[in-house]
Amino acid sequence: MKAVGARLPRYDGVAHVTGRTQYVDDVRVHGTLWCKALRSPHHSALIRSIDTSKAEALPGVHAVVTAKDVPHNVYGHLEGLGVPADEPLLAEDDVRWKGQPIAAVAAESEEAAQAAVDAIEIVFEEREPILDIRSAADPGIDHFHQWGAVYPHFGPHNHRRVRKGDIDTAFEEADLIVEGVYRPQAIEHCPMETQVALAVPEPSGRLVIYSCTQAMYFSMGVVAAHLQWPLNKLKFIGGTVGGGFGGKVDTATETIVSLLALKARRPVKWRYTREEEMLTSSTRAPWHIEIQDAVTNDGWILGRRTLTLHDAGAYARFSPYGVTKHAFHHTGAYTIPHLRFDGFVVFTNRVPTTAMRGFGVTSVSLAVELHMSRVAEQLGLDPLELRLKNANRIGDTTGNRVVMHDPSTVPVVLAAADAAGLELGDEYRAMTPERRSGDLLPEHLVGQQAPDGEYLATYRGATNGGR
Amino acid sequence: MNITVNGVQHEVESSLLTPLLDVLREELGITGPKAGCHQGGCGACTVLVDGEPRRACLTPVAAVDGAEVTTVEGLGEPDALSPVQTAFHEHYAAQCGFCTSGFVMAAEALRTRSDGDLEREEIIEALSGHLCRCTGYVKIVDAVAAA
Repeated sequence: MKAVGARLPRYDGVAHVTGRTQYVDDVRVHGTLWCKALRSPHHSALIRSIDTSKAEALPGVHAVVTAKDVPHNVYGHLEGLGVPADEPLLAEDDVRWKGQPIAAVAAESEEAAQAAVDAIEIVFEEREPILDIRSAADPGIDHFHQWGAVYPHFGPHNHRRVRKGDIDTAFEEADLIVEGVYRPQAIEHCPMETQVALAVPEPSGRLVIYSCTQAMYFSMGVVAAHLQWPLNKLKFIGGTVGGGFGGKVDTATETIVSLLALKARRPVKWRYTREEEMLTSSTRAPWHIEIQDAVTNDGWILGRRTLTLHDAGAYARFSPYGVTKHAFHHTGAYTIPHLRFDGFVVFTNRVPTTAMRGFGVTSVSLAVELHMSRVAEQLGLDPLELRLKNANRIGDTTGNRVVMHDPSTVPVVLAAADAAGLELGDEYRAMTPERRSGDLLPEHLVGQQAPDGEYLATYRGATNGGR
Repeated sequence: MNITVNGVQHEVESSLLTPLLDVLREELGITGPKAGCHQGGCGACTVLVDGEPRRACLTPVAAVDGAEVTTVEGLGEPDALSPVQTAFHEHYAAQCGFCTSGFVMAAEALRTRSDGDLEREEIIEALSGHLCRCTGYVKIVDAVAAA
């Protein structure tokens, strides 16, 4: 325990301040070719034909790859968790977002690679794009995705559900219904180091891959699956990431440089331009969140109905996982006994969205906290006292029936009040996270309390749709 | 063309309009300056040209013919850091580190042209063209103030 509480020097600090840290783009391998990609100029279109012969004949071009060069083109990032695959590494018969990779080139210089990309002849037939999650599932819409308007594989349901208690009775008994709509928007991770990878073929037949991935073994598995190679033919070198924030979990460049390196028998590097990073790399998802709370005049929240639309963009990637986390956190740091939650992963012709710093949770936390303040305002109550009253307490159970044994809502709200210099009533100031009793155990919360000493969580939402 | 980088003279083969950043990184193999945007927006490529901070990505190599260029590699060694480097290290002013060499060079220039204590506003003004997406700005300003 020498490290806890001590101010230790960063293990990589000296290398950072002297410029000695070696990022992927700093690796120098003799004979490295540059990669550039042909990307879709359309939000949504059929690919009628593609001809790479002129590109292949240009001077300095060593390899061109399209979907037919990928041994296993459609591989899902979450196949290991039971989420089926929907996204091709390189587009096959259609493109579903502006920027989707269709072909890639390896050439002697960036300029030669771009000239070859420009020489690829491709014919598109444009489709009407779907760009608004609110209307994506409307009747009469032609869906571009093979699964329809929404991701359909949440157990037996086509959306993530939470059902708890008796929601209709809670709304009948309420003094007031408080409604709100919240729309957190897309955010680009924008790491200072753009997406980059370098693949180097070894004489032994193995591939060495220098990667900026945030998830080494995960990315290794993705490359191995696309190539249909055993893991022992891949050597990944990584761990030095020039900022990721979730955006470097998607294994954006590693597989394509691997395919090109194998075809060209030369090392191949792909470094996104800043423009490419901003326009085509994945983002945090935009969301549309509707909350209705059934509340009493004295500030208890009896029930909550939530409808969430999550913009997955054109393919599923990690979105089902994000919506599941969203579902688990949709009561925030508060205990609400009667719940009905429906969360949909909606497909649009936008750049696929992905992990970013607590994705799924930050969106619902924003919505819940704004909504708590809205409830307080409509009831004429203090917003912190409303939070303390409904705060998670030891023994409370969450929406997906996890028993809490160390909830931090009460101390955090009290500390926030202190930091902001806000007054609180004595009964609130004296609150602790201990088990409910007295005035803080009204009839509607009695059934929420797990028996004293019960610590075992019972996860149901994760596996069967939270029925 | 000739440029002197960190005290070593180099004859440059790249064409006249090649960005100094690409000459340093691709021709000379000096990788401390980073290619964060290649359009003058992030500051990660900042080097000193005759002592003044410059965006290497926006500087044609022909414009620095005969000049003295200093990159982060030309400051202290790992076992003998410059005062600015020491301050960055001790104040945890580097997280992922990708923007660090640019910040260090701008801070070095600021420290060289000022004497005595710096106001935080002066430091923020001098570093305002640099982006850190890990958002470690407070620690960076603390480091420069202490350097």
